[in-house]
Amino acid sequence: MKRKRSRSEITDRNFLLKKIKDFTRSVVKNLCNGRSPVVILDRFQNYCTDQTGNCTCSFDLPKSREKLVSFQRECYTRRMDIFVRVLLIVQQLLQENKHASKRDIYYMHPSVFSEQAIVDRAINDICILLSCSRHNLNVVSVGKGLVMGWLRFAEGEKMFDCIKSPSTGHPIPVHVEEVKDIVSVADYILVVEKEAVFQRLSNDSFCDTHRCIVITGRGYPDVSTRRFLRLLIEKLCLPVYCLVDCDPYGFDILTIYRFGSMEMAYDAKSLRVPEIRWLGAFPSDSENYQLPEQCLFPLTEEDKKKAEAMLLRCYLQHEVPQWRSELQVMLQRGVKFEIEALSVVSISFLSDEYIPSKIQSAVHI
Amino acid sequence: MINLCNSSRFHFDQQLSYAEILSPSESRARIEVTVLNFLKLLNSPNPSISDLHLINRTSKNTRIARDLFKNEASSLFLSHSLSKKSLNRSNATQSFIRIWKVLEICYQILLQEKLVTQRELFYKLISTSPNYFNSQSQVNRSVQDVIALLRCSRQSLGIMASSRGILAGRIILQEHNQDKVIDCSLCGSSGYSITGDLNLLEKLVIKSDARYILVIEKHAIFHRLAEDKVFNQIPSILITAKGYPDIATRFLLHKISRNYPNLPILGLVDWNPAGLSILCTFKYGSIGMGLEAYKYACDVKWLGLRGDDLQLIPKESLVPLKQRDLQIAESMMNAEILQDGYKEELELMVNSHQRAELEALYCHGYDFLGKYIATKIVKNDYI
Repeated sequence: MKRKRSRSEITDRNFLLKKIKDFTRSVVKNLCNGRSPVVILDRFQNYCTDQTGNCTCSFDLPKSREKLVSFQRECYTRRMDIFVRVLLIVQQLLQENKHASKRDIYYMHPSVFSEQAIVDRAINDICILLSCSRHNLNVVSVGKGLVMGWLRFAEGEKMFDCIKSPSTGHPIPVHVEEVKDIVSVADYILVVEKEAVFQRLSNDSFCDTHRCIVITGRGYPDVSTRRFLRLLIEKLCLPVYCLVDCDPYGFDILTIYRFGSMEMAYDAKSLRVPEIRWLGAFPSDSENYQLPEQCLFPLTEEDKKKAEAMLLRCYLQHEVPQWRSELQVMLQRGVKFEIEALSVVSISFLSDEYIPSKIQSAVHI
Repeated sequence: MINLCNSSRFHFDQQLSYAEILSPSESRARIEVTVLNFLKLLNSPNPSISDLHLINRTSKNTRIARDLFKNEASSLFLSHSLSKKSLNRSNATQSFIRIWKVLEICYQILLQEKLVTQRELFYKLISTSPNYFNSQSQVNRSVQDVIALLRCSRQSLGIMASSRGILAGRIILQEHNQDKVIDCSLCGSSGYSITGDLNLLEKLVIKSDARYILVIEKHAIFHRLAEDKVFNQIPSILITAKGYPDIATRFLLHKISRNYPNLPILGLVDWNPAGLSILCTFKYGSIGMGLEAYKYACDVKWLGLRGDDLQLIPKESLVPLKQRDLQIAESMMNAEILQDGYKEELELMVNSHQRAELEALYCHGYDFLGKYIATKIVKNDYI
């Protein structure tokens, strides 16, 4: 009876190299027998716009399957060609244990890969075929995220000791799989959308007076930020709160933290954070905290279209109906505002009042 | 040697205006003096509304400092020519009042000894003075006016500056009042984040055994070089501002260069007008940054990517110039400060209507970049 392999074994470099070899062997065998190489890829979708509530979207299971029979159509042949070329580069990276970004890979054969998007799709397809995450292929990008607070961990031989100076930001490590020895005395994790808010908290020495960890993805969070957050939650089991601007883009970022992005839907199970709670800013906050009218800006046409499109996402209805109603209120009122607007009340209002009182009174959804 | 250089300047730096770094009480004092002068004139036997005298931030007030020994341009600076902002001129009344409004808010912030971001300043101003401010760019311009008036840096006014810069390589830093030393060669590919606080940077103690400083335009290239630990093969310091340089990164580069004046500073940028503009900002400063910029100019040489490197990259990696690139190229061509070698490269870019990224070198393998840099350094191939 075959032993079930653990996740770490499945994504082990050597195991992946073996899988690549097996795949290549099967392609060559098919060709030798005069048959077309076939690649069967699962298609993942973490949401759809089906409003009936009967959709089969899931975070773990594929929604559909795509069968690429290479000789059947020219576009499949091309896809196969690109797929194999990228696979070759990935194999090289794994063999030498080097890392490259998606852009670096594009530049290795710019004439064949006529644009970046083609390389991106090939990489996603390889991840699906080999049932692994993108970083397992040694394809990583530079990290954007920052972390500060009551946390200590080791990345390889380097020790990140945020506890000594809890209000200094540190870049989130890119090679999250090498993060070990996580030690923390924090009470919660706060995720903020923007770097400016992170800076405000740093400047106010927020982490000196509140035992917490603050993370920012500096806009749309990259993969390493999301993986790091996921790792912290798995190891520390702390509540997680999210602070975003009260506008459609903030809401989108919130959903990406919670449900994962569509692009990385195949890896949603290791990237999403279902425990995350929306702390603010809610549309009602502008009244509750008496924000002056000048700080509220009207939603642009683009904002409205985005909000309307997001309202159709099936997971909002199923999992977070309260979030959906807040988005509806935002759309109805037709205004948006940024977290920085709260500084009008007093410069450190965010750190002294807004965040602590919301967490204490559990005003989050 | 440094003293000789300084004394040979013959007080030329009296010609230039710069933004000083002040403590909150000193900045408050300057604001108070401005207010008192205003009141004095208002209270005088011939009362009038005083004009505000700002350092002129135009090309007419720009001067080029020439290196005495090498006779080449070393930096741009603004001289003492003043422009007057007067309430009496009809198209300037609003901006005149805006300056006072910004002074008011900055004074309050300085009293609290806090720092705000420019965005927070914007929100404060639109809620307290909605008739005078309606956009972030207006606020930014008024802040520059206040800097030109008080001649102090933005941070001295209580406006916090962030830094995007990171550092890696053969350099050891010790922060003020800390025992721990930070060895940037062990920082990994994420590097050491440069703080935006110029006061803290000033107090950093630096030790290095590098032979070169590499100034890098893009984060991705920095990451690649730091991961491959190129700074151990070629003893060097890597520094990047992840794009257009901010004050803090330039400050630190300038500080390192002052401590180790014999280290050549080599720039690695993409082959396009924007890349060259970034190189030139490190090299000369920029008028757009107003008074804060000139002080931190460094003698940066252009290592790559340059015109004769194009033979190393496949022609599919060359992409056409965008409209924005052409605009940047045009404004740079007209600048007197640009040296001839750079002008030729710009002409080549514009005439061929193409640009290329450093990553194009990866077609030879991703370790090619390190080799490329090493070869160029050994051949002294930089301008």
